[in-house]
Amino acid sequence: MILRTHKLTKHYRRTKALDQLDLEIDRGMVFGLLGPNGSGKTTTLGLLLGVLKPTSGYFEWFGKTPTADARKRVGAILESPCFYPYMTAMQNLAVVSTIKECSMSRREEVLEIVGLFDRRNDPFRTYSLGMKQRLAIASALLAEPDALILDEPTNGLDPQGIVEIRHLIRYIASMGKTIILASHLLDEVQKICTDFCVLRNGEKLYQGSVVDALNEDIRFEIASQDLLQLAAIARDFQSATVIEHEKDRLVVSVAQGVTTADLNAYLIDRGVIVTLLKERKGSLEQQFLNILAEDD
Amino acid sequence: MIRLLQIEWLKLRYYRPFWIMLGMYTTCVILVCSSVMFFFEYIKSKGADFNGVDPTMIPFYDYPDVWQNLTYLASFLKVILAFIVIISIANENSYRTLRQNVIDGLSFTDFLKSKLIFIVVLALGATMLLWLNGLVMASIYSHVHGVEYMFQSTSFLAAYFLGLITYLTFAMMLTFLVPKAGLIIVGLFLYTLFFEPMLSTFIQYYEGTWDWLRPVPTYFPIMSIYYLIPIPFPRYFFMEIQHYILIKEVLIVVAWLVFNVFMSYLLLKKKDW
Repeated sequence: MILRTHKLTKHYRRTKALDQLDLEIDRGMVFGLLGPNGSGKTTTLGLLLGVLKPTSGYFEWFGKTPTADARKRVGAILESPCFYPYMTAMQNLAVVSTIKECSMSRREEVLEIVGLFDRRNDPFRTYSLGMKQRLAIASALLAEPDALILDEPTNGLDPQGIVEIRHLIRYIASMGKTIILASHLLDEVQKICTDFCVLRNGEKLYQGSVVDALNEDIRFEIASQDLLQLAAIARDFQSATVIEHEKDRLVVSVAQGVTTADLNAYLIDRGVIVTLLKERKGSLEQQFLNILAEDD
Repeated sequence: MIRLLQIEWLKLRYYRPFWIMLGMYTTCVILVCSSVMFFFEYIKSKGADFNGVDPTMIPFYDYPDVWQNLTYLASFLKVILAFIVIISIANENSYRTLRQNVIDGLSFTDFLKSKLIFIVVLALGATMLLWLNGLVMASIYSHVHGVEYMFQSTSFLAAYFLGLITYLTFAMMLTFLVPKAGLIIVGLFLYTLFFEPMLSTFIQYYEGTWDWLRPVPTYFPIMSIYYLIPIPFPRYFFMEIQHYILIKEVLIVVAWLVFNVFMSYLLLKKKDW
């Protein structure tokens, strides 16, 4: 067990930023912390990293009550990258190495990983947002941490920067590190994470694995010469629940366990010749909206 | 301990405003402490005579009086050192690096310790600077010379050192309370040089004050440091002065030192960063 929280709660005056959060994160998980803006994601991470003080509840890193030393084994970026603007990447990482008591020679290595080696002797204030974000990731990797916490790591980046950071996170995950990723970009979480939970107004609405969540929501895309006729027929299919028209096709949502073969057999039976029939994997986005809607 | 000093050194080493302010402070101290004789010559040329005494005959730099004279004079410049401390701490808040340091694995206690070490080193440096300055000036003007005089009455240097640490921790505590450099710098400057001295004078000398209230200013955070090194100049007008340091006054200052550090600790521990 890397991390466990028990009824973790944080109040700011009258607002409940986080309410009785229970989480368990195992070694090797890439865990997505999802939720709309202001749902308590950053508050949760701030508590876990010791910069916010919990109102009640507790948490454990590596099965022990957290100490500053435990944080040395965790690499983390919280919100925007925080470094001394007048210092270069190398000088900033020297401060981090001294705090984390790790070798100074790791600095070049991590700067290589994030692709900042060539700019290592430029002051931090001259960096673009993407470079700052990459330096933050380099800093988080410095002490070869067991767990990595990334808060909106692709915030404010251009599409190329987003892809770069995503590759970087996958690469880090492939090294067997546990990653906790807070994001409101569901696409990102779907592509990277193994497990996720959904927060809203400081409450946990859902926790589960990404694969299970996607399998809960299977859809088919179908098309034929006459879409209107097809829609009428498909509506009568045993468990079709939602039907959407896209510009040249229909999207049919069905219950779990229904296969393309079942749908095809049904349509042939009704004399419909389809020009398109394919399974569409559910999206985390849809699941996320379902979870939020269910709670309303 | 070494690690914390190292961290602080890495942070300040490349921070140019720190070196500029340190340079300004050093220049100020050397200028003020070395130019007293020129000042006496200036007022003599303007026709000043102190009851028939030639101002340039005042043995300002003579051993052992030089230590009380210089520490008294230089302690007015400590506010510049406080600015350095305030900026170094307020920056950690505005860059959000205090938070990042903690995330990276520095405990709040370690952070406080690293700032305390910085303050002690700064105060030690300032005391050394004054000592060297005194030695140089005494070697020029003193009527007595000898190694034994160099370390005589140096309790004033120790008191100066204690006063500096206490004052700088006071500035640190205020910055943890309200981490806005500009506000604290202006506030501390006015408070140190105007508000507290004026209030103290009012309490001590206003006729209508209750008698029990009169000694209270000796317990104030800034005035207690001021009283640590008694004003030396009346001795040149054949008046009795206190030419030693009172234990009671040391204890008051030490109590403030403990208070400042403890409050800083509480602020770091209790606040969300």
